[in-house]
Amino acid sequence: MGWIALRMLTGDRVKLIGLLFGVAFSTLLISQQLTIFVNLIMRGAVAVQEVSTADVWVMDPSSRTIDVFAPMPSTALERVRGVDGVAYASPMLRSNAVVRTPSGDLEGVNIVGVDDATLIGLPRRMAEGDRQALAEPDSVFIDDTGSRKLFAEDEQVIGTRLELNDQRAVIRGIADAVPTFTSQVILYTRYSNALRYAPGTRNRLSFVLVRSDSDHTPEELVAAIESETGLRARTAEDFANDGLWFIIENTGIPVNFGITVVLGFIVGVAIVGLTFTLFIRDNIKQFGALKAIGVTNAKIRSMVAIQAGFVGLVGYGIGIFVAEMFFILNSGVDTFKGFYMPWQIPLLTAVVTLVMIMLTGFLALRSVLKTEPAEVFR
Amino acid sequence: MSVGIAVENIVKEFPITKEESIRVLHGIDLEINTGELTYLIGESGSGKTTLISIIAGILFPTEGRVNIFGTDIYDLTDTELVNFRLDNIGFIFQQYNLLPALTAAENAAVPLYANGIAREEGVERGKAILDALNIADQCEKLPRQLSGGQQQRVAIARALIHEPRIVVCDEPTAALDAGSGRRVMDLLREVALAPDRAVIIVTHDNRVFDLADRIIEIEDGRITHDGKELPDAH
Amino acid sequence: MKNLSFSRQILPILAIAGIVIAAIFIFANLPDRTMTDPMIEPPRSPDAQSTTGTVAGTGVVEPSSEEIEIGAHISGVVDQVYVAPGDLVTQGQPLFRVDTRDVRARVNEAGARVASLRQTVASAQTSLRVANEQLALYAGVEDSRAISDQEVIERRGARDTARAQLAVAQAQYREAQAALASARTQLERHTVRAPQTATVLQLNIRTGEFANAGPGMGGSSEPLIVMGVTEPLYVRVSIDENEIERLDIGAPAIVSARGDAARQVEARYVRTEPLVVPKTSLTNAATELVDVRVLELLYALPGQGHSMFVGQQVDAFVPAQGDEEDESEGEGADE
Repeated sequence: MGWIALRMLTGDRVKLIGLLFGVAFSTLLISQQLTIFVNLIMRGAVAVQEVSTADVWVMDPSSRTIDVFAPMPSTALERVRGVDGVAYASPMLRSNAVVRTPSGDLEGVNIVGVDDATLIGLPRRMAEGDRQALAEPDSVFIDDTGSRKLFAEDEQVIGTRLELNDQRAVIRGIADAVPTFTSQVILYTRYSNALRYAPGTRNRLSFVLVRSDSDHTPEELVAAIESETGLRARTAEDFANDGLWFIIENTGIPVNFGITVVLGFIVGVAIVGLTFTLFIRDNIKQFGALKAIGVTNAKIRSMVAIQAGFVGLVGYGIGIFVAEMFFILNSGVDTFKGFYMPWQIPLLTAVVTLVMIMLTGFLALRSVLKTEPAEVFR
Repeated sequence: MSVGIAVENIVKEFPITKEESIRVLHGIDLEINTGELTYLIGESGSGKTTLISIIAGILFPTEGRVNIFGTDIYDLTDTELVNFRLDNIGFIFQQYNLLPALTAAENAAVPLYANGIAREEGVERGKAILDALNIADQCEKLPRQLSGGQQQRVAIARALIHEPRIVVCDEPTAALDAGSGRRVMDLLREVALAPDRAVIIVTHDNRVFDLADRIIEIEDGRITHDGKELPDAH
Repeated sequence: MKNLSFSRQILPILAIAGIVIAAIFIFANLPDRTMTDPMIEPPRSPDAQSTTGTVAGTGVVEPSSEEIEIGAHISGVVDQVYVAPGDLVTQGQPLFRVDTRDVRARVNEAGARVASLRQTVASAQTSLRVANEQLALYAGVEDSRAISDQEVIERRGARDTARAQLAVAQAQYREAQAALASARTQLERHTVRAPQTATVLQLNIRTGEFANAGPGMGGSSEPLIVMGVTEPLYVRVSIDENEIERLDIGAPAIVSARGDAARQVEARYVRTEPLVVPKTSLTNAATELVDVRVLELLYALPGQGHSMFVGQQVDAFVPAQGDEEDESEGEGADE
């Protein structure tokens, strides 16, 4: 009887398209909006996640996120190094500065000073240029999104001279970094250069990047550092989440996207539910005849389930494919740079679609099951 | 010829409000023989549709028993009753109620499919019976591509394909013009009638009364006429 | 069914294909969150201190004599530099010389004056001798008629005068000699010599440049020459004052050069500076203020195998006092 159910479903092209559109549309809306939401708030965490060489971040006790911090005295680095379980530790300076471009414009930038010798704190990948180029005098790396913001398409980026705090800075590489939430231009340079480039205050050390040794987990090390130095330590994972929660708590983004996702669900339920119910209504005589002829309710149920499952599968497939393609095709756009669909989202969307289809299927089925076979004689 | 269906003291009431109900059938006693074409006639609202629904096992009576070939069908469980209908009763509806998405052959084979028969075999057997009904050339068509008479033939095929012992027809000719109705009724008489099968036709189409073996008239929930001939009023 | 149905067969296949393609893309595009190792080895706590724990500090390589900053005695234009950077000079060896022409002239002048005075002395001596002889001659004449007393008195007076003139000439001669010695010393002072056997580390003076005597303007001027004893080299390690109590003072430290963390060198403890000082800024920012004080420890590098240079920054790891149980016992004993 399964194939009969499918035949009944596909026999009515218009309603089938309506059903598929409903499911596909809400799948697309939910998964795409969730992905944008997740990635947008992940922007608060990328700066931490980009650093692949540290699993513990140490900061002033009043620091909160990678953008909201108080600097520490420079000896904090040595104090952290002295903690048992630290494989290595290196300094990081983050600061805002104003850069003067060759064309004379002023642009606010984020300066990231990484350890002079080891370059710990640079993003994972370089888009252009070699990491070692940072060792050259007055060398800075610019992030690729920032390079497009600062320079026109055809302008030569590498080798361009910038002016930072009255000092010379030469772009010698482009880092492949995901833009942060503020999407400011990021300039990576060595710690010693950063001290010159960033307008000075008394304490300059923003973070100490720590790697735990093989005998200690990052969590153990966090506790050890906090108790021994009095500084605040977070595992890289926690610290990334801190940045993420900071955005959640301090912006209206979650509400906005939450509403969109709920709307997507409601629209999906409405379209699919109405169409499905209409479809079942149209076929109620046929179902009644089948029941009179001798088709059990269980078989009717499985027929409706097959129809719902088919609509769900095909609609979900179309929706999720379109959603993923949206991000694949737009991966070159700076707004969506670094956007990816976490595997949890299609799974969650599948669950939502399933709930939606079960809900509407149940609603539709109720009218079928309620149909008295005797009604076919009326 | 033997007794196929024994109806004993059937009473059916439909609730109108919570307290009140209307009695549609007032204790019907009836025996229907196999090998006969039995007509059930009566005015609208006389209770003939209710009676045929009860006889066909799709409407529970308020009181009374229906015995079909030795089985008290309202003593069966729901599922047993459904399966009993599937095995023993063929239905022909006024509006045909064919599945619009299935071909004629497939529609004819629906009772087989409900019994779990594979699609191809069903199609083969559907074709065979449509051949017997002289519309073999239409068996690949969808119901909407068929005329009313052809659709009703498909419906007849569906009612007979599993060789039920009872065939119940509800106004099979009402939606057809006189010629088609006559042909359908002839056909029905020709193919449906068998020595061990009871055929009950609810109709008020007086164009086809002459084909009946027995005519039962119902009025206000009671049998007012039972015989070979039409009641005098007609 | 011979012909494929779009709705029932192609559509679900497309849908499943869509899901599969989406899944492939999703998993292919998951961001890389794995940990990697830095390209250049960062300084790590040495294994040797894994049991005791570590106190980390920054250090600077310096000569064991500390840096000897050579100044000039006399301001002037330098006309000779005798050494090159890196030269090992022995004590007393000349380093450079300030222009000596005027002082040399004065030496010559004084020399000439000495010479002329020497002649004056000689002539005075001659005069004295003549006067003596005349006096002896007159005094030897017994006959008083032959020579009057007056004449004897005159001769005696002449002798006394000659004697006094000699004394004056001698005094002038000595004075001239002293002046010559003074001029020579002055000349000598134009040449700066090595105060001890050491290596020239930095040379900031070149022939023709003007060398200022004494501290430069504002005290911030460069020394003319920086010297130091580079055998052995010391490392001055700064330890945050908060960490002092954890230090195992006296134990050897492990140091590694910036950028060459893989090569760890064991350095012998030498001494601890008794004064806790504000942290020296090693961050190149001249205006940097620091509120951190540091304890400075000196460690000697081994003679070979470190390839470190004076002034180089190093990461240092000093062992911490290992057993905290001992400490608590000690405290208990004190009570």
